Amino acid sequence: MSVAAQGELQLPRTRAAQWAAPLATVCALLIVAAVAEIVLDGALGHSVLIPKSPQIAGWLTGIGERLGYRVFLIALIAATVGYAGLVALGRSVSKRWAIALLAALHAIVFLGPILLSTDVFSYIDYARIGVVHGLNPYTHGPISATSDPVYHYVGQDWKKVYTAYGPLYTLISYPFGLLGVTGALWGMKVLATLASAVTLALTWRCARARERDPVIAVLLVGANPLYVIYGLGGAHNDLIMMALMMGAVALTFAGRDAPAAASVIAGALVKATVAALLPFMIVARRSRGLLLGAIGALALGVIVAYAVFGIDGVNIVAALNRDAAFVSSDSFATEIAHLFGKPGVFPIDHDLLKLALVVIVLHLLWRTWRGYDWVAAAGWALLAISVTSTWLLAWYILWPLPLAVISRDRRLFVATLAVQALFIVHQMTPLLAPVA
Amino acid sequence: MSARDSAFERRLQQLPPRLRPRDRELPGSGRQWRIETVVLIIVGLLLAIAVVNDVVLGTHVNHRLSADLRTWRAYTGHDYKNVSTEEDVLHFTTVDVVCGNTVPGPPKERTQICLQLTGPVANGRRTVSGGWYLPAKHEDLRRYRYGCYGEPKAKGDCPR
Repeated sequence: MSVAAQGELQLPRTRAAQWAAPLATVCALLIVAAVAEIVLDGALGHSVLIPKSPQIAGWLTGIGERLGYRVFLIALIAATVGYAGLVALGRSVSKRWAIALLAALHAIVFLGPILLSTDVFSYIDYARIGVVHGLNPYTHGPISATSDPVYHYVGQDWKKVYTAYGPLYTLISYPFGLLGVTGALWGMKVLATLASAVTLALTWRCARARERDPVIAVLLVGANPLYVIYGLGGAHNDLIMMALMMGAVALTFAGRDAPAAASVIAGALVKATVAALLPFMIVARRSRGLLLGAIGALALGVIVAYAVFGIDGVNIVAALNRDAAFVSSDSFATEIAHLFGKPGVFPIDHDLLKLALVVIVLHLLWRTWRGYDWVAAAGWALLAISVTSTWLLAWYILWPLPLAVISRDRRLFVATLAVQALFIVHQMTPLLAPVA
Repeated sequence: MSARDSAFERRLQQLPPRLRPRDRELPGSGRQWRIETVVLIIVGLLLAIAVVNDVVLGTHVNHRLSADLRTWRAYTGHDYKNVSTEEDVLHFTTVDVVCGNTVPGPPKERTQICLQLTGPVANGRRTVSGGWYLPAKHEDLRRYRYGCYGEPKAKGDCPR
């Protein structure tokens, strides 16, 4: 090829590179504007999308209007378009701009109301059941203390349900129970924001360990619309679980197997799902330290849980079995049932889904044994858990995201975003046909 | 000392080559990668079709419910916001029941009039095939219904 021809080819590339940075800035601003719109409208208080809550964002009222499906879904689409732009143009975003964007998104959500979920009130209620009412949250649901001020805010479906969260999380939440409802709510928001910051910092570290661009990695996790709006917005404890999960990955990359295994176990004692990482770590590392770390941490966790909560605090399997029977309209299982003309998911479908999950995990374990990237395998397992679950919520499809951005299998990242995109598409019905 | 140097690891290396653990995948495992990718694409397509189908179903249901609410308001002459709609979730027909107060008041706190709506949406409304009344503060259960007319009366849906 002649020098002149090479020059002609390079010219459009140079122009594209010139446009990339301003376009990425526009995408970032689009996400910030969309999230700010949701927060400002949400600050007006209870609506179809904002749970009943103590007025913690009252100073933001008077700017927006009560959050309805139309505005929310348009903002969600805008944030998704902005995120898609960032995925494509991430390389042109500087480290400083990336951190500024993530800090802005975290600050906006932190200052706003609780979005889209009553879960945080369940967390507070379980804490208050333990520390204020002296009852065991593993044997007593919110209905055991109807006079408690937080009871009014707990979701209708969860009022009779005992906690399904791990004993470590329950212990972490106990001090917040002493702060009153508003104090506890702010405490939970601080905890979620810190957990998110730790998750992002560890994602950065892991990306560098794998010689990936850490700026793109943290952008893909921290600017993800579902992560920001649903995960952070709802102050979900999944963020704590994800921080411990990424801690385990970072420690494994540093060759510190025993603390890595302990970190996974700690994550599982917050929310059991993250235990899915452990078999892949064991198969890939085949390290004595990892096994000893896991056994030691599990033994300590079980002893403390048994001492504080009795046998019910240790029997997480029972809680998981109970939750596995739940069915949500957003689950892929329900959607496939509708596709085949069935009204919903039947008991046989639960069994088939569990079988499918076992087959997937066994295949992934075999692939890991034969040298496949264990981080990717663990990410696939978490994605498979969320896709085969009959109780699917937006924050469940965040679990594999930090693993996907650092894995050696590009397909995992594409599949994770595809599943998230399908989840968002499924929310669009009220926008296409609003009920008058 | 890492377990990697241990007797266990040496024993693993005595396994047949096809069963031995590896630290990295062998180059040339492209066939497996292609099969997995095809399976993933098929699963992805199934999920995408199921999602779109569900959105279309939901859109039709919302369209119908909007028509139900408009019909109730036009039929009763009350422009109330709090009107409840109930789908036939037992048999999955498109026969809906819409209930609302007969006079202004909090939801279900006054005598309610319920309409049974059938047929397709035409001009934003559906056909009223009959109805009944409910006492204040009562759910739409068969035993509370009274004053049936139209199709429900013919079917004997009112015990009193």
